[in-house]
Parts: sequence; structure tokens; C-alpha cells
Amino acid sequence: MKMNLNTQRKVDYDQAKEHTFGDDTSLKEKLAIALLNPDDIKSLNISQKSHIKIISKYGSIIVAVKEEKDVPPRTIIMPVSIWANQITGMEEKNLVFKNIEVDVEITEEAIPGIDNLLNKIKNS
Amino acid sequence: MVSKRVICAGCSLLCDDIIVRSDGLFIDEVIGACLKGKERFDQCMAKNRIISPKIREEGELKNCSLEEALERVDQILKRSSRPLLYGFSNSSCEAQLKGIELAKRINGFIDSNSIICQGRILNASKKFGITLTTISEIINKADLLLFWGANPAESIPRLLNKVLFSRGKFRMTGREIRTLIIIDPVKTASFNTMGVRDVALQIDPNKDIELIRALKEECCLDGSIPPEGVAGLDKDDMKRLLLNLSGAENGVVFVGQGLLKTQKDTNLIKELLELIEIINEKQQKGRISLVLMGGHYNMAGFEHVALSNTGKNHSLQYVNGELIDSEDTIVSKINNEDFDCSIIIGTDPISHLPSSLARKLASKPIIVIDNRKSATSTIANVVLPSAITGIECTGLVYRLDHVPLELKKIINPPSNVISDKDLLEKILYNFETQF
Repeated sequence: MKMNLNTQRKVDYDQAKEHTFGDDTSLKEKLAIALLNPDDIKSLNISQKSHIKIISKYGSIIVAVKEEKDVPPRTIIMPVSIWANQITGMEEKNLVFKNIEVDVEITEEAIPGIDNLLNKIKNS
Repeated sequence: MVSKRVICAGCSLLCDDIIVRSDGLFIDEVIGACLKGKERFDQCMAKNRIISPKIREEGELKNCSLEEALERVDQILKRSSRPLLYGFSNSSCEAQLKGIELAKRINGFIDSNSIICQGRILNASKKFGITLTTISEIINKADLLLFWGANPAESIPRLLNKVLFSRGKFRMTGREIRTLIIIDPVKTASFNTMGVRDVALQIDPNKDIELIRALKEECCLDGSIPPEGVAGLDKDDMKRLLLNLSGAENGVVFVGQGLLKTQKDTNLIKELLELIEIINEKQQKGRISLVLMGGHYNMAGFEHVALSNTGKNHSLQYVNGELIDSEDTIVSKINNEDFDCSIIIGTDPISHLPSSLARKLASKPIIVIDNRKSATSTIANVVLPSAITGIECTGLVYRLDHVPLELKKIINPPSNVISDKDLLEKILYNFETQF
């Protein structure tokens, strides 16, 4: 399903807070998530326990789904984090964090941990 | 136990009404801080606080003495011909100045987070001008607050308390005469603060530019709004918005991150500044001003420090100890891999930059100066712990409305950790004496 991705700083899903007070598990639980509205969750035929793969022209990432009624239809909101930034990019000289066209599909693959992502960044 | 009134550096609002009870060793109680402010004070004792310097040996980060870590920094810098210095929006102005001195000495490129955030508006305003205002002026005089692409309830939690609910010196009433308008494609937490006479405008995603252009057109030619409305707003909403903007005695537009997004072939910021200019020209009795909603506590500081010391407010490239003209920004430097090591201060670019840039940054040695763990500190080659400014050391900072404030020291830092300014001074001293 084609959707529109926006990254946002959210007080309940704050990467600086999780890095300071949390651990690798809480980082993943709080930040490797996509907020979708209930209608989109229904049309994707998924539940809040499902994992989805979000694919943009810059990359792809697997995250958990969270329902949020205030998210507009066909929109995904992700908290700013290393997970969200696997699918953000740059155009000309500007960074693109908002209004990114993405494809969403259900997956059974596991959500990568911060160690996996850092290894990928360091070793690629 | 002594109670002190202090300034909180939890965000760029720098609330100066926080009461802290402390015995000089530990902070016992914090009164009046928001969630973000409380977290800032809790950082002192956080389990992931960086206290010991670290260097990477055989792929692992290992604790070491400060001297060993500084020696490693010196080795990296001596081998480098194109170092990058980045961050500085969570540092005092003194540290920012020291960073610029270091960049000059090592022929580096220095930039702050502001360049990918609110600094873009200041840069656009060089051509068009900008009318800024202060928090005090808003409290005392404002009758219209427009938040565009901003979610203050979550990003700067006490901003609405101060600017919306406070009673002004020059007005007999407070909240009653203030109109709040929020323009955002997402119904954020800030929408919950709205009263009956406020205007909630949930526009279609990515349609800000159409809205700005329609408002500009209507300002110049009455009746130009199409009957079906613009950007998901109907004609009446548009009229209400324009009536409020052009009728306000002291209107303030708070520009949030939502307006900093990139749109192909358009310059949102330029067009917004033009709209404000047109409205201000039409205004008979008042004016519209802007507040830039940068999040980090001293994002505005780097602009002032760099401008007053070098004549340029960001992206400083030094060659042979001289500042040269360059179109580069931190983004283009990383993207073009035009660097051979980086010093990252108080920020986490590995997390907050797109992965294509994070990979390029991670491919060269990284030196991190910070007081908390981050993705960048996890993969760094050297980590230098710093004291927390405004709690464990003093420092000058600029509030989001560009008002300078002095942060005070409340307690001593743990394990003789020193400030980021002192760390940069030591790096500079080592570089000069051992060169």
C-alpha cells in the first residue's frame, strides 16, 4: 500500500531520552514504531502486534505498528530515530524528513536492534 | 539544603522560574520544570551518563584517562587535513567560540545543527528581512498566536503556558483576548489546548505552499480564493485566517519544523517571509512578527557567536588559518565525503541524519564530546565526557527569541568531568604545543 511518511519529534518517543535512561530493548520498543490511523490498520489487515516493512526510494526498515487516531489517512508518522532515518534521504542539498512516498507491506521479519543498524552503518 | 531559582536548559525556551533544592552535591528536588526539563536535571544521575573518557582499541571502546584520550584526539587531528566540527547547539557560547578557534587552528569546517533547522529561515531572511520578537513582548502585547507546522505542547512544553495563558503588562486581559491558530496536517497534542474562538486548521499534507500562495494572492487581490478552498481548507476558514492575520495588533507566527521540509522547485520559507511582508505592509494598526522554534537550548547561540566573530553565521571553512568563502554546509561536506575526521559535540548525527549520510560520517574517525550515550558515541573512536551546562558548569546561551541568558552551576560534576569548553581548550592547547 502506498503511503506518505513523516518523521516527528514526539515527547513520548524521544531518542535522546531513551539513549540516556533506557537500554537497547526500550530503544527498540519506543523508537522502532510506525504510527498509523485505525482505518489504515484495517485496510492493511494488520494488528498492533504486526510488523511492517516500509520501503522508500532511500531504503527500507521493519518496524512495529501503533494505532494513533489523530494520524491523517494514508500517512505514517515515525518518531525521529535511527530507525526512521533508514528511509529518509536527501534531495539536492536538502535533507528530506517529511512527505516521503513509501510502500508498506506486512512482514514476519524481526525488527532490527540498534546494534544491527549500527553495524550496518559502520561496516557498509 | 538550599533552594535556588535557576534556568532550565531542557529546551530552547530556557525557563527562568525553576526552583532547585540542592546540598551542592546532589539535586534533591526540581520544582516547576516540564517533562523535558525534569529529564535534563535527571541526566546528572542517569545510568547511561558518560563519565569516563573512552578510546577504541581493537574494535572495542575502552575506558582510559583523560590524558590518553586527548593524546588520541591529537593523533587523529595531526593526521587530518580536512576535519569537520559539528553540533554545538547543546553547548554554551563559550564552547562555541572555542570550537571556532579550534576549527581555525586545525583548518577545519565548523557548522551547527541550526543549518538543518531554524538557521535556514535566518539564511532566507538575509534577502527579505525578518521581524523577530521576544517572549516578553509576546506575553505583554500579543493578541494572535499562529503556530505553523509546530507542535509546542510536545517540542517546547511550557511555551503555551507562557505566551498564551500569561497576563500581559500592557493588556488588561490575557488568554481571553488571544486567538490561537494552529496550521498542521496532523492533529497534534497542541490542538487540545484550543478554545472556542481559536482556529484549528488541519490542512492537506504537503500543501503549505499552496496555502501561502493563496493568502498572498488574496492580500493583493480581494476575492481571489477559489470557491472550493485551498489545501483542504474551505473558503470561510481562509477568510478567518486572513482576517485574523491582517487584523491583529501584535500577531506572532511561530515557525516549526513542519515548514522546513523540502518541496521540489519551491522555497516555502522565502514565500512565508514574503507573505508576512505583504501583510505588514497592509497592516494599519499593528504588525506580524516571527519566532523560530528551534529545539536545542543554544541553537540560536551559534549564529550569534559565529556572526559576531567571523561575519558569517554558519558553515565556516578555514584554510591556512583564514576563513574562506564556501557554499558548503555540513550536509554537502558529508555527502561529498570532503572530510577525513569529525569532532561531534553534544549531538547525535548517526541517529538524526539519513542513513546514507550516517554511513559516510561513520567511515572516518569520530571524536565525540558529550555527557550522554548516543548512537554516535557508540561507534566513535574517542569519547570525551563533558559536564552538563547549566547544572554542573556555567555558560552563556541564547533563548529561542535570541535573548542571551547566563546559566549557573548548581552542583559539581562527577569524577572531575570538565566542561566542553575546557575540553576544546585542552585539544587546542595540545595541538599547538605538540605541533
